Amino acid sequence: MSDDGDSDQFNGRLGLIFASIGAAIGTGNIWRFPRMVGANGGGTFLVPWLFFLFIWSIPLVIAEYAMGKRSRTGTIGTFRIFAGKKFAWMGLWTAWISTAIGFYYAVVSGWTIKYFQLGVTGALNGEGVDTTEVWNAFLQNPGQVIFFQFLVIVLTLAAIWKGAKAIEKVNFYLMISLFCLLFLTLFLSLWMDFSDGTLDGALFMFTVDFDMLFEPEVWINGLSQSAWSCSAGMGMCITYAVYMSKDEDTVLNAFTMGLANNSISIIAGLAVLSAIFAVNPDPLATVTGGSSAITFLALPEVFAQAPFAPIGPLFMMAGFFLALSFAAMTSMISTVELCVRNFVDHGYEREKSVALTGVALFMFGLPSAIMWVKLDANGVAFPEFLEVQDHIWGYGLMFSGLFIAFSIWKYGYLRWQSGVEAGVAPPGLKGYLGFGVSAFRDDFINTGDNDLEVGRWWDLLMYLAFPILFAVLMISYFSDMIANTEDVWNPTNPRGLGIILMFWGVVAALFISFNKYLIRRPLYRNIPKGAEVDISTLPGGDDGLVVALGEVAPGFEHLSKDKSGSASLEAELV
Amino acid sequence: MMSNGKVVRTRPSFGVLIVLPLLLSLIAPIANASVAQDEPMGDAPEDIWSDDYINMIFPWASANEPILQFKQYHTYETMKTRMMRLAEDNPDIFEYHEGMNGGTNARGEEVTADAYEGWYYGHSSPWLKITGDVQGGDYNPFVGDNGNYEDRHDVMIVGNHHAREWMSYQVVIMQMEVIAFSYDNIGYDNDGDGLVDEDGWGDENGDGILDDDGDCLALAAEYQDSNGDGTSCGPGDHGVDEDYSEQWITDLVNSREIYLIPMLNVDGNIYDREVFCPAPAWETCPSGGWRKNLRDNTFTGVTPLPDLQEEVDEDCDGVDLNRNYQFEWGAPLGATGPLIPGTCSPSEGELDGSNNDVYNGPVDDKDNDGDGQINEDHVDGKDDDADGVTDEDWWGGNSEPETKFIQDMTEMNDDVGDGASEFKATITHHSYSELILWPWGHCTDCESPDHAQLEYHGQQLADMTQYANLQSSSLYPTSGDFCDWHYGVHGSYCYTSEIGTAFHQHEDDVDHIAVRNLGTGFYIAEIADNPRELADLAIANISQQNYLKEIDESDIPAEGDIPIDICVSNDFPYSESNSMIKWRMVKPSRLQSDFGPREWATTSWESVDLMAVDDGCTVSNGNGTVLRGMVPVSETATGKLHYKASVSTLSGSDLYQYPADGDYYVLDLSYRAAYGSVFGSMFMFALTAGFVWGGLAVCLRMMLSDEEAIDLTAPEEGA
Repeated sequence: MSDDGDSDQFNGRLGLIFASIGAAIGTGNIWRFPRMVGANGGGTFLVPWLFFLFIWSIPLVIAEYAMGKRSRTGTIGTFRIFAGKKFAWMGLWTAWISTAIGFYYAVVSGWTIKYFQLGVTGALNGEGVDTTEVWNAFLQNPGQVIFFQFLVIVLTLAAIWKGAKAIEKVNFYLMISLFCLLFLTLFLSLWMDFSDGTLDGALFMFTVDFDMLFEPEVWINGLSQSAWSCSAGMGMCITYAVYMSKDEDTVLNAFTMGLANNSISIIAGLAVLSAIFAVNPDPLATVTGGSSAITFLALPEVFAQAPFAPIGPLFMMAGFFLALSFAAMTSMISTVELCVRNFVDHGYEREKSVALTGVALFMFGLPSAIMWVKLDANGVAFPEFLEVQDHIWGYGLMFSGLFIAFSIWKYGYLRWQSGVEAGVAPPGLKGYLGFGVSAFRDDFINTGDNDLEVGRWWDLLMYLAFPILFAVLMISYFSDMIANTEDVWNPTNPRGLGIILMFWGVVAALFISFNKYLIRRPLYRNIPKGAEVDISTLPGGDDGLVVALGEVAPGFEHLSKDKSGSASLEAELV
Repeated sequence: MMSNGKVVRTRPSFGVLIVLPLLLSLIAPIANASVAQDEPMGDAPEDIWSDDYINMIFPWASANEPILQFKQYHTYETMKTRMMRLAEDNPDIFEYHEGMNGGTNARGEEVTADAYEGWYYGHSSPWLKITGDVQGGDYNPFVGDNGNYEDRHDVMIVGNHHAREWMSYQVVIMQMEVIAFSYDNIGYDNDGDGLVDEDGWGDENGDGILDDDGDCLALAAEYQDSNGDGTSCGPGDHGVDEDYSEQWITDLVNSREIYLIPMLNVDGNIYDREVFCPAPAWETCPSGGWRKNLRDNTFTGVTPLPDLQEEVDEDCDGVDLNRNYQFEWGAPLGATGPLIPGTCSPSEGELDGSNNDVYNGPVDDKDNDGDGQINEDHVDGKDDDADGVTDEDWWGGNSEPETKFIQDMTEMNDDVGDGASEFKATITHHSYSELILWPWGHCTDCESPDHAQLEYHGQQLADMTQYANLQSSSLYPTSGDFCDWHYGVHGSYCYTSEIGTAFHQHEDDVDHIAVRNLGTGFYIAEIADNPRELADLAIANISQQNYLKEIDESDIPAEGDIPIDICVSNDFPYSESNSMIKWRMVKPSRLQSDFGPREWATTSWESVDLMAVDDGCTVSNGNGTVLRGMVPVSETATGKLHYKASVSTLSGSDLYQYPADGDYYVLDLSYRAAYGSVFGSMFMFALTAGFVWGGLAVCLRMMLSDEEAIDLTAPEEGA
């Protein structure tokens, strides 16, 4: 361990992969993906979904890994180094979006654990169980919701308390269990679906409807599913890259993570769709109807009809919701770690940061847990405050991705300019296209650690495809909202666009004005011994306050003295 | 003992203090229970409706505009401004006019625009032409209006024949506001109770109770008579006929040409308001006021004394416009009127000149047909002089600018060019007495050929207002009134509604009386296609039998179009070619959780033809015929299918809607196509699995071989 110096590292490559996959795989793979498949023409949806995995998600993850591996800091530090001192707030935005999502994600994760408990105790299985009643009773009981939210946070904090090695271990076991549980569910689902002699669900999931294939909405949904489910652009991969060993293969990791993420989606999708198609007379309406609460209403009804009663339904129910809660927990871990990493980067002790993040998550998650729990027109409870939070912050994620692209564009331009001055780069547009556009890729991706060289295609995607797709997503989302929401500009309308723009505006303005305080603090980089992490060519490379962990930042000698004397660090070094 | 006494007088012990709240809490339920017993059963208005609705704050203006909120009367000027404002804001359905252009009228007379200007103040009556796409259609050079369509039925709605009858124009203005607000504003929740279109005018479900949705009846008894007329949950009360269908109003506007004339007698109204009855009129003229127009009777030379100042002579001037129409003008003598037709002399014993209130205008001394005789064939539909021509030389009537305006507008609206007026239904609002009146007015103990039909529609109007339904002459005989003329000369079903309980109704009552009478104008517009047939089919209980079959999922065929059936009584003269099923497919977008009509209002309706099929069906009074429309919905479509039927008769009744009044049925449509093909899905599965799982396998393989390499080098580094 002492090999690593002061830095905190994953033990091995699989650890990083499992942590990243854990971050990527969340509830979106297991409950959103099957719904999207149902709503977008079954197999038809797989085409854009796969397409955008390679066009959007993986390239963005490659960029995140490359940035994190070089900066060796969390999101704030990464933007401070990669985009320049003036743009540290972009990292703060990225961290905030992920944390703000984490506030309510903890609540949602709590639901999944509650449903695991209900599944295990058989409370969802019996004759005449009304799943809507069970759901309403749970959601309208603040004590219960808060208890499970609290449980999630405690479990998460326990998992990350000790840093990278613990994260690695927890993710490894959770992910392996998730695979096993999903396969168990899939087996039972296919059994159910085949009991009538056909595999309707599987058939539907893999049949392309060529008419629908040309509908823009299918493509937009494919893009958004790919963008969200992989967590690309959220900053998770920047964070986990901090713990990479010095010669990690970022490209291979990105591909592995993306493909693993989609593998799980396919298994979950097949399991859910097969089960629903097996028992439901109108399966598509079930899959596509209503909100995400459908997972907790329709699926228990379906699972209760699993074969081999009473063991089968019990296994299916418990297995599925346990898998779901594992998926949620691993995403929760990455969310908290992202936040914690940013604190640690700025000289806070890990334990303190973890505790602080935990308390904040709990406190700020409380309103989402209990406020504005209402009944919709069908008598199903829904947490409006939580949905409003999702409405506001969900698309903020897109900007985090945009900031990453911005850093890449900026680096390319500056590098070309200084190259021209030094006489190594040709001037003019041709020079820019030849030298500047590929600069990020040449300097940070193709560093020699990779088995796979990333070619020109990556530049094309980052410079051309990314901004176009970003615009398409934002415009389609906003125009859909403007066209279909009454009073859409009124900022007091919780479903409108006004409220989104207002919150984004206020947060962005706050962060931008906060930027100057941010960059007055020293930034400690988590550099493994012997790693080649030169940042002198980067916009933030001349920042004297950016030092390696364990080094002393000029003007902050008093801090580092305290720090080196602290018992906690000693313990970590042992 | 002393010490004991002292203890008693000191503060209660701590124990008592603790027990006290406990004791109180024991008493509390008893107290609560006694209060609960006193509380009446039922809701308070605010439990059901929005504050705006309860306080009659109408959605077309802000709360602090009393005139637009019907808290104060419009004047001629404010009304005109409002009409112009609405016409400018709703150019697709409203066209504003004053008077008409003139030209050669239906009688061959040359008329200029100034013929319609009031004698004294010189204004022509302002009016609105209302129809869908009002700038389209044909232009009528005489009337000056656009939007004349052959297939749209014309409706005339007239207010304020009599100057002092102020509610009679307020009701028309209310209808104008409602049309402007409701057109294409589908699914508006008028009363703010979260439901839409749940209670239209009249008694929709035929149970004899106006409150179709039962919300007024759910109120505590003390709230059920909000307008204070003594009838609980009657017309105009909170929750009664309060949420009409905007779709229905839109359909109506799109299939009718509405001629809305709120204030016919502008001259008289200004005089009544500004001169005759100083404000507030309901105090200065509680039971009186100026009734007629402002014809200067001395100027025309009938009365002997010259009127040198050219001022209105309140003892003599003016003509009662509603006695001035030409049908049976001045006759018979049994009608109330001047003792000598064509004069304004007070009758004996009526020195105050009140008899002049029904002066019917000067006698016509022209030889209208140029045969050397005058007044030999009076307008009564009969050939009085047996010369083979009817009504060719009239005695008098239609002498006033206002009645000429009505006459020429009626006779010059002939969209189809068959020489007959287009107006098949008309209504004129008056006040007061709470009556619905219909022809005849000029004769007692007489019945018109359409007596039963007129009575039927009159009863519908009376039901929605809870007014009394009478033949006009049963109240008192009148000659030369608007309705006798409209019906007698042009065959138009014409109704006179006598609104409210005073000429100058107190302004506090304007809003709720206007609301109470709002439905009548819409009803008249609805029946303007063929009022006689509508009444016949309804009286014989035929049209009520027809129904649209509400289909459920089991009726959906596995493939192909979805049949929608309407069962019509075999006695019903349906027209296949003009009847249709209207349908649309809607599906919530990602953001829509509320599937109400407002969300779908912008999705346009498509229509398919109806064809009679061999399957019989049963209606409640016998056998029926199935008319079927095949709705082309693809097997892969999912969502909600909205459908409704619009049925016409062979005689041109064209607004039979099933379900009634702009409503529609909803069918949840699920995916009907095969879920996939075996071959295609196997191919796609292989492709996806190859890409994702194969790719993952390759990656992991590369990674694991790397891992070995690292493991090998690691000890070296450590060493």
